[in-house]
Amino acid sequence: MNVLVLSGYGINCENETLYAFEVVGFNGKIVHINDLIQNPKQLNNYQVFAIPGGFSYGDDTGSGNAMAKKIMTNLYDQLINFSLKDKLIIGICNGCQILINLGLVPSLNKKDPEVAMIENKSGSYECRWVDVKVSNKKSPWLKNISTLNLPVAHQEGQFMIPINLLKSIKANNLIGLQYIDHHKKLAKGQFPFNPNGSRDDIAALTNQNGNVLAMMPHPERAFYHYHVPNWQNNTSKKFGDGYKIFMNAKKFFA
Amino acid sequence: MTNTIQILSIEKTGKESSLQKEHNNKSIKIIDGYFFSTNLDNQKFTKISKLISNDVSQTILTKKNVNMILSSYSNFNWAIEIKFLPGVTDNIATTVKEIIKDNLKGSFKSFELGSTKIILIKGRKEDITKISKNEANPLIQTIKIYPFKKYLNNFKKNYFKIEKVKLPKKKYSKKEINLDISDYHLSLIGKLGIEENDKSRRGTLGLDLESLKAIRNYFSTIKRKPTDVEIETLAQTWSEHCKHKIFSAKIDDIQEGIFKKYIKGATEKIIQLRKDNFCVSLFTDNAGGIGFNKDWIICHKVETHNTPSALDPFGGAITGIVGVNRDCLGFGKGAKPIANTYAYYLADPNKNYQLYRQKNNMDPMLPANFIAKGIISGVRVGGNCSGIPTPQGNVYFDDRFAGKPLVFCGTVGIIPKKIKGKLSHKKKANPGDIILMAGGRVGKDGIHGATFSSEELDPNSPVSAVQIGDPITQKKMSDVIIRELRDENLYSSITDNGAGGLSSSIGEMAKESGGFIVNLEKVPLKYNGLYPWEIWVSESQERMTLAVPPVNVKRVIKRFKARGVEATIIGKFIKKEKAIVKYNETEILNLDMEFLHEGYPKLNLKTSLPKIKKEKKKIIKKNSLIDKLHKLLSSPNIVSKEFIATQYDHEVQATSIIKPLQGEGRVFGNATAIKPLFDDEKSIALSQAAYPQYAETNPYDMAGCSIDTAYKNLIVSGANSKKIAILDNFCWCSSDEPDRLYQLKEAAKACYEYAVAYQTPFISGKDSMFNDFKGFDKTGKSVKISIPPTLLISSIGVVDKISHLTKITPDDGDILVVLGNTRNELRDSVYSKIIGYEKSKNPVVNSKDALRTYKNFEKANKLGIINSAIGIDLGGFGIAVAKMAIASKKGLTIDLKLKNKISVDQFLFSETQSRILVSMKKNKLVNFKKIFKVSDYTIIGKCTGLDVIEFKDNKKIIRGKISDFAKSYKQNIRGL
Repeated sequence: MNVLVLSGYGINCENETLYAFEVVGFNGKIVHINDLIQNPKQLNNYQVFAIPGGFSYGDDTGSGNAMAKKIMTNLYDQLINFSLKDKLIIGICNGCQILINLGLVPSLNKKDPEVAMIENKSGSYECRWVDVKVSNKKSPWLKNISTLNLPVAHQEGQFMIPINLLKSIKANNLIGLQYIDHHKKLAKGQFPFNPNGSRDDIAALTNQNGNVLAMMPHPERAFYHYHVPNWQNNTSKKFGDGYKIFMNAKKFFA
Repeated sequence: MTNTIQILSIEKTGKESSLQKEHNNKSIKIIDGYFFSTNLDNQKFTKISKLISNDVSQTILTKKNVNMILSSYSNFNWAIEIKFLPGVTDNIATTVKEIIKDNLKGSFKSFELGSTKIILIKGRKEDITKISKNEANPLIQTIKIYPFKKYLNNFKKNYFKIEKVKLPKKKYSKKEINLDISDYHLSLIGKLGIEENDKSRRGTLGLDLESLKAIRNYFSTIKRKPTDVEIETLAQTWSEHCKHKIFSAKIDDIQEGIFKKYIKGATEKIIQLRKDNFCVSLFTDNAGGIGFNKDWIICHKVETHNTPSALDPFGGAITGIVGVNRDCLGFGKGAKPIANTYAYYLADPNKNYQLYRQKNNMDPMLPANFIAKGIISGVRVGGNCSGIPTPQGNVYFDDRFAGKPLVFCGTVGIIPKKIKGKLSHKKKANPGDIILMAGGRVGKDGIHGATFSSEELDPNSPVSAVQIGDPITQKKMSDVIIRELRDENLYSSITDNGAGGLSSSIGEMAKESGGFIVNLEKVPLKYNGLYPWEIWVSESQERMTLAVPPVNVKRVIKRFKARGVEATIIGKFIKKEKAIVKYNETEILNLDMEFLHEGYPKLNLKTSLPKIKKEKKKIIKKNSLIDKLHKLLSSPNIVSKEFIATQYDHEVQATSIIKPLQGEGRVFGNATAIKPLFDDEKSIALSQAAYPQYAETNPYDMAGCSIDTAYKNLIVSGANSKKIAILDNFCWCSSDEPDRLYQLKEAAKACYEYAVAYQTPFISGKDSMFNDFKGFDKTGKSVKISIPPTLLISSIGVVDKISHLTKITPDDGDILVVLGNTRNELRDSVYSKIIGYEKSKNPVVNSKDALRTYKNFEKANKLGIINSAIGIDLGGFGIAVAKMAIASKKGLTIDLKLKNKISVDQFLFSETQSRILVSMKKNKLVNFKKIFKVSDYTIIGKCTGLDVIEFKDNKKIIRGKISDFAKSYKQNIRGL
């Protein structure tokens, strides 16, 4: 099991993302986007393609846009092929914004981006812990998980989805994660449970096969129990909730 | 054909809603615009538009659709167009250019591009002017206000232009400066700069008459005239910012100066006493390093960026944070930045100070809230975009920062002890090594930054002194260095280009080899037309200088290039102790290294005891206890800084282990911790403290309190007392006045005594000596506003085990105990400012008592006796109690049957140092008592788990609801 973790141009969560994959049993490598463009064939050696969080191109022209355009220009077909195979792709935070701008999720009309990531309703950067529930239980990434406690850290985390598309997204069950409140009920847009004002409290989307997951929260930052706020009150568990996502990737190939 | 692409977000953006809210105006819309230097044909227009926008959320305005689309939002009547001034870093334009070049490959020959923001508004002209003033800084941006119709006209007529830097085409000829002139004319060169042929002056050199005379003497000995480049270089190298002349000067009877005697002296004494290898690299490098575990070293550096932040708060602050990141990259062979810290000392953002740099209400200071917001955002963008967590910081408000805000930015780095078998903190540029400049290009940014940050802010402060950081360029460069080049040992030395630019970085590095030869014409420029001296001293950001053995040069440049980073050979290091700079083969600088670095005249300073103002007696307000607690909790210096913590990413790198917001009730903590290595449970605890409010009463005690608090916060968090180091950042005022120098000497003396007592070495430090504003108030009266002397002590410590990390939240049934005794030390306290005071003393640290408390606390914590703990500082015991209750959402009962002769108010609000409030399970009390002396603690109450805080004395019980206290504590800071 091999994971390729993308880096370069301001992506910045590659180390911890690779580490999380390694702990659950993957072999992996951080590959600079320019090296991948030089030699796209190396994708064949990998089963998982991960785009970590960060600030590619400083969010100029919209978060994830510039990096998505670089990938579209240079690597688009290879990545589409990757997604059509029995392989997994994950985009976390900036990676999520890149996948959305590439149109790899929800990928219902297979052309151009269909969804946009726009600025948080609060107008400010939000670094805080949230609770999410799993909606698409079929995605290999999200199987057998009900809720997760994870941190978000973003300025543009609001999913903007045209009404008609939202209908098909729901019909096809492509909502990956949704923000919930303290009572495990949908946040209904209420801040800070829903940190960005995303419609239908959407925190993640998948493609139709469920093998491509674009999620705003950071599972790699909630990997061990000591990552969780106020962990001293509960030291019985070794792992945080983020661990489950990486374990699911492992189970998919096991 | 068109030369502009304008993009509109369909939905209201966050920026629009905050503008709408702020100005109570629903008709505001923002357009992102891009101006091209060439016309775009239809095909290119469509293609490029698609590349830089998202058609789900955005619309491209065209001549055909513009009327219809805009009128669907509102009936706008004004447009504000905000552009960067030519030559100011335009990060967005750089990105857009890169996307276009990558996608359209060869189909574009060359083009220039500028980004712009256009704000459309329906409103009155005076409101528009106000908004435009709030949204742009005239120092770096142009603001044009058009009637909406004219904007439409311009749009349709392709009227938008990009303005390029147009520097007069000048042919450089070597300029020699005659210094054989009168003292008056000599001093003009120092104050106003070198005179150009057209009689204009270049801007202040910050050189005093004595220095200029030293230069004159040197050149008369070598029998030639100095060149302009030589004088500029000496001004940079000898600036207060680079040489710390005041700290190294003879002062009264202290021959060696206060740095050597008190700061370095303390560290040397401690190393001698400790006999361990905790201190690795001190004072000589860009940051100070200490041992972390057997394989790793950590380093820490804190810088200030005060003057630039007063002129351009956002630009000044972002440059401050990415600049100090580079100090880490330049530590040893290059440390990876793993945490940022910040501390802001600001004027009240809710006040309108109306200060002007010139008479007749000309050249105004930026409004206090604009400064505060800009600084907070600058560090946010710098830190978040670089992928470096920013967990630790604080903000303090005082009117005396109205003329100059203090912006402290710090970075912690980590580096393996050995790289390919060699000690990583040692570096040496060897003769023959190539000088490589990597990262951004050079422009006029920050010309004269080092010299002017050493001077008071006055009307002649140059505008080109402003730089704007570009964290992404730096991140690309940093990744190559830390991940690839360093670990292959491809270079022999590295340093950062900060103040003074190349002149300073190469000058410093050349000490390792002997000297250098630089060919300035090889330096890549942002635009043509820079004079050689400008290239040499420019402070353009995101650049590192490397010394690379010739055999590795090709590989290094290739690796940089593959990651989208420019690296250029600009000269070589030589053995001969000469500093030589050429421009197209003309030698324009040739100095002895010894003179360059040590030729400046040493100062001889005298101090005198300042008059201490007597405290005016104020009437104490007769509020109830609960009321007073609310008043203090909601005061700006105590109130929660959650709004900053949530906008600074403190989780990136997945290292955050004690977070800035603590407990379910989210209390803004005194210390934070990160666990930097995946495979070691050791953590790094960080804190900082400064007490400018105590400075005027007694600077010695002020410094003692800062050291005690910074140290205490780490002990309370669980750090190993033997592995704590501290950093000193002195921000002083009027440092040419004997009474200010007296305060400085006193503070430095306290630094020595407390650091030695606590055995915490100073590992790095910096000073900024002239934080004064000289200008005019709104009536035209001349005013001088000096900051209160401010000494920021930053502390960094190692926590050996995760289980040693403490929390601030008690559990039901816990016994509450105060460690340390409380004295009547209300003078200069938050209470005295808000409620009033009777006669009382200022806080004084008794290091012997303090250390006993800390040692015992550490022992008790390791034995698992302590369940929760919080350091007592601003606002005193009462505030610590409230914070514990708010954080845990659990009620506390406090017993006020006091054993000392002290009033309830004094006990609750006195800011006596070295105290800790702890809680423990009842059954731990026996073991606790075995460790602590009875006279060192007071059992003060317990955790009830109810929803109230109760204060009980013999007569009555006073209660306040936790949720009400939380509301006071979480109040918004007015004006922000």
